[in-house]
Amino acid sequence: MNPIATMLDPKYTRRLFIGIGVLIALALAYRFLYPIIFDAYVGKTNAPLTYDTSKRLTDVEFEALAQSLSEDARRLKAEAVVAVDQNPFAREVKIEMLMNTESFIRDSEPRHIKYFREAGIRQYEGPKTCLTCHATLEVDHPDGTRSTVNTLDDLVNSVHFKFQTMAGGFSTYGYDGRQVNAGPHKIPVGKIDRACGIPGSFTWTGWAALISSHPEHGSNGEVVLRSEGCGQCHIGGNYQPATEKMMPVGDVPDMAKEGIDCLICHAAHYDMNQRVVIRDEYGLRWNQDRSLRAALTVAPISSETCLRCHQHNMGGDAYAHNDAAQALGYQHQRLLHRGAKRGNPFSPADDAHAAAGIQCTDCHRPEGHKIPRGRLGVDLVANDLPDKTVSCETCHGRAPHNASENKALLNGHIARLACETCHIPRLEDNNVVLRDWVHPTWDAEEGIWEPTDVYRSGEPGKGFTYLWFNGNGTFLANALGNNPNGSDTYDPLMQQIARIDDSEVIAAVRAKATELKQQYPAIDIERYVQMATDPLSQLSPELLEQRRAMIQANLRTAMNDGKSRIYPFKLFNAMMYEDMSNQGPFGAMILPFDYNIYYETGDTAASVKRAIQDPIVQRMYQEPFKRYMMDEFMAYFGVSGGWKTIYPLVNDQLVNVEPHWMRQMGTLMVNHGIQRQGHDCAACHAPNGIMDFKLLGYTAERIAELQDPALLRKPSVTTLTTAAPESVAP
Amino acid sequence: MHNRLTKRASGWLAGAVLLSALLGTSSTSTAAIHGQLGTDNSDCLRCHRMETLAYRDPQSGELVDLHVNGEQFGHSAHAEVPCIDCHQGDFGQYPHPAAALAQRLDCVGCHEDQPDAHERAYRFQTIEQEFARSIHATSDSPKVKGFNCHHCHDPHTFRNSAIGQPIAEIVRSDNQLCLSCHSKIREPYSTAHLWLPKRDKHWQAVRCLECHTPLTDLGQPVSHQLLAGKDSNFDCVNCHSQEQRLLQRLYQYRSATDLENSGWLSKAILNQSYVVGMSRSPLLDALGLGVMGLTLCVLIAHGWGRYRAYRRFRQHQLEQ
Repeated sequence: MNPIATMLDPKYTRRLFIGIGVLIALALAYRFLYPIIFDAYVGKTNAPLTYDTSKRLTDVEFEALAQSLSEDARRLKAEAVVAVDQNPFAREVKIEMLMNTESFIRDSEPRHIKYFREAGIRQYEGPKTCLTCHATLEVDHPDGTRSTVNTLDDLVNSVHFKFQTMAGGFSTYGYDGRQVNAGPHKIPVGKIDRACGIPGSFTWTGWAALISSHPEHGSNGEVVLRSEGCGQCHIGGNYQPATEKMMPVGDVPDMAKEGIDCLICHAAHYDMNQRVVIRDEYGLRWNQDRSLRAALTVAPISSETCLRCHQHNMGGDAYAHNDAAQALGYQHQRLLHRGAKRGNPFSPADDAHAAAGIQCTDCHRPEGHKIPRGRLGVDLVANDLPDKTVSCETCHGRAPHNASENKALLNGHIARLACETCHIPRLEDNNVVLRDWVHPTWDAEEGIWEPTDVYRSGEPGKGFTYLWFNGNGTFLANALGNNPNGSDTYDPLMQQIARIDDSEVIAAVRAKATELKQQYPAIDIERYVQMATDPLSQLSPELLEQRRAMIQANLRTAMNDGKSRIYPFKLFNAMMYEDMSNQGPFGAMILPFDYNIYYETGDTAASVKRAIQDPIVQRMYQEPFKRYMMDEFMAYFGVSGGWKTIYPLVNDQLVNVEPHWMRQMGTLMVNHGIQRQGHDCAACHAPNGIMDFKLLGYTAERIAELQDPALLRKPSVTTLTTAAPESVAP
Repeated sequence: MHNRLTKRASGWLAGAVLLSALLGTSSTSTAAIHGQLGTDNSDCLRCHRMETLAYRDPQSGELVDLHVNGEQFGHSAHAEVPCIDCHQGDFGQYPHPAAALAQRLDCVGCHEDQPDAHERAYRFQTIEQEFARSIHATSDSPKVKGFNCHHCHDPHTFRNSAIGQPIAEIVRSDNQLCLSCHSKIREPYSTAHLWLPKRDKHWQAVRCLECHTPLTDLGQPVSHQLLAGKDSNFDCVNCHSQEQRLLQRLYQYRSATDLENSGWLSKAILNQSYVVGMSRSPLLDALGLGVMGLTLCVLIAHGWGRYRAYRRFRQHQLEQ
């Protein structure tokens, strides 16, 4: 029987129809049922999103707005043109003329005015409006090729939206010695699933919160609502991060994609006062500026647009030139975080590149919506383009020093020192090094309980340190590298970043502990200081021994890999509650805080209890989640035997949960806040310089050479013989 | 004396540091760095071993590389020579005095001064004469202004190729020297040498010099008279013939390498092949030889068999 005849046989036709039916049913189930089941499983909400800021304008209103925006832009440009002309009066006259010059009007008008006018767009409705014209996008690749991508897909699959990636290419090594996601079992890694001691929470548990604050200056007991949470920066305007993207199949629902905030990056004028938490019938989420005004100012990306979010983790919220921090909201004002995450601002006042008008994307050159962080990654943050270089050398070349008499010698240092090492002489003073989440402090002005910043400093050796770095990092953000002499004494995980020896820092920690003891009498000051400054003292002798062995056996290869140079690294450690069932030699799984309870009551244990009742944290302690990613996660974390699914909350009591400092400090790369005038030679090449050459793995002989100031600054022989040394000697 | 000066200097420095500390003035990096170092090679290398010791010449915009790789220098032809033998002047001082920096070093002067200079087969005088006729000396292009030996021969790394070094590697590093200036030639859409069949293969296997220098007599090294493109060798037969010109050059050295590695037979049979680089596969060569040997054996066996059959036939005839 031939195959066609077989297929026509009624018996087979029946089977064929059943087969096709099953396939269609599966496809439909995947399309419609899977998202519902998944959201139910992780306990997340998706709902159609609306924003009050999105208003429809009449044609007349549109034209009035267009005219005002056009004039603003024109005046700004005219002022720039005449900036150096004669006197103020002359400048005013010229500005007036330019304001009425036909070509000037045409060339300065924000381009989207014309586009929107012609397309009849009178309301900005989020991505839908943008995609009317920008459904696809031309992407230029470094190899000179060009591709066309679907704009929405491109964005939804970028780290800016997902906050994680399952792709390989991480320069991160687990404490078990394996490169993260290099093997067949890939897990989502990035900010989405990594609790961190700086924000004190996960993105899941700390996405959006409305805090009832009780500022003392307010009229008798008035409650002021404040906005807080990770979602203030991370794009995607729904009720939680894009959890669906953590699975190998499925996608975020279309209604969630409607919440993407295109304008926060693409509009030249975006009202950050709209960026506050709002409550609707489904829950809490972050509001956006969806005004037509913002949409009409869409222009090429600039530093200003990036810094709306990114100044937060560079200069910090308290940084004087953080523009976004000046627009906290018309209502539900965002809470400011006073301890800076890095304290290396990017602004004309404090960075040579910003001052020169260099834009973020000049160095971080995007490919579509994928933006490179550079190939050196220490902090396990997901990277869209892990192979794309972002470096000083790209522009400055091999011999950047031209002005100094010692230019050749300065250039000579580049083989061993990163540019940042000299050219970031210090960080902001409010750079936080040690943050205690377990013993919060009452902030009377804000009327909230805040984590206590036990130590802040922007000084070299205190707020940040110098380490060898070859581009690799550990799973808990510790820079890896080694002295090119192949030293086996360089061991930052047992030394530099595992203990604080500086007596001034220790004294400051002790002072803070004494202060905290008034609020928390149970604090044993000596033990407190020891735990904060010698976190390894929290490990049992067995774990300490295991730690030493693991560093030698698992990390040395990654440390000796490639070419290391000395880089500056901001140091950070936090005291948080840890799930001690999942402890290893490098730390235990830290537990997140619920922002509301934390800020409002200062009851830290209650705050943790609430946060870990979040459905997705409960799922974490179940078998499927364990199998899917937590076992692998823990292996990278340096914990053998897999993830223990012993849920740490029993009968509303925390079980096997202890407050601890992570067993070493994290090291965050600092690359901005570049000063033209770097460190002086003598900053390092002197006894007690800012660099500890011994800990950096140099031999005693070489240290003597490196620290010998006489070799650096000895007056020349001619000076000596003519200037009669006896007369100048002390 | 030197030690005493050092001590005084440190004392003076300590005083200055103390004074500035007392006055609360911080030293700025514009403060001049001065130093009196020794002039042993190790003293020089203290700075010059820095891999990135370099600056950009404000006049030309070109990178001036001051790095000396100590290890490479140790293996170079000049390994035994103290730095200050060539770099004369007060280089012990930092910053190096302008007078010392201004001097121009020249190979011929030094090498012709050597007592055994006249015993050399290829004298530096000859090199100088050849170079004077070279396009690098005669061109009126502004780019070759001041062209000297050091543009091609880095005295800190220069060494003669040693037997055993793979030819491809020598060709590559040699050509890289030319290409470091003639960079346009290797650009993706370059039309240079397009007339050559299998251009890229030629680039991999042949040094630029082989065609861009005049033909030399047997036994004479490659001339330093570099030829302009139009004057260079366009004649394939110069290489692709039995009396190959190539074999007198770098490939002459290859026969020595081959001799060393695979013995006389390989050289005698294979080196004279019509196309340079044709049966260079030892496996193929062995197979070929085997087939030839086998054919010969079969022929001999066949002949012997025929002979034996003939003898038997004759004997049989005789017996009848």
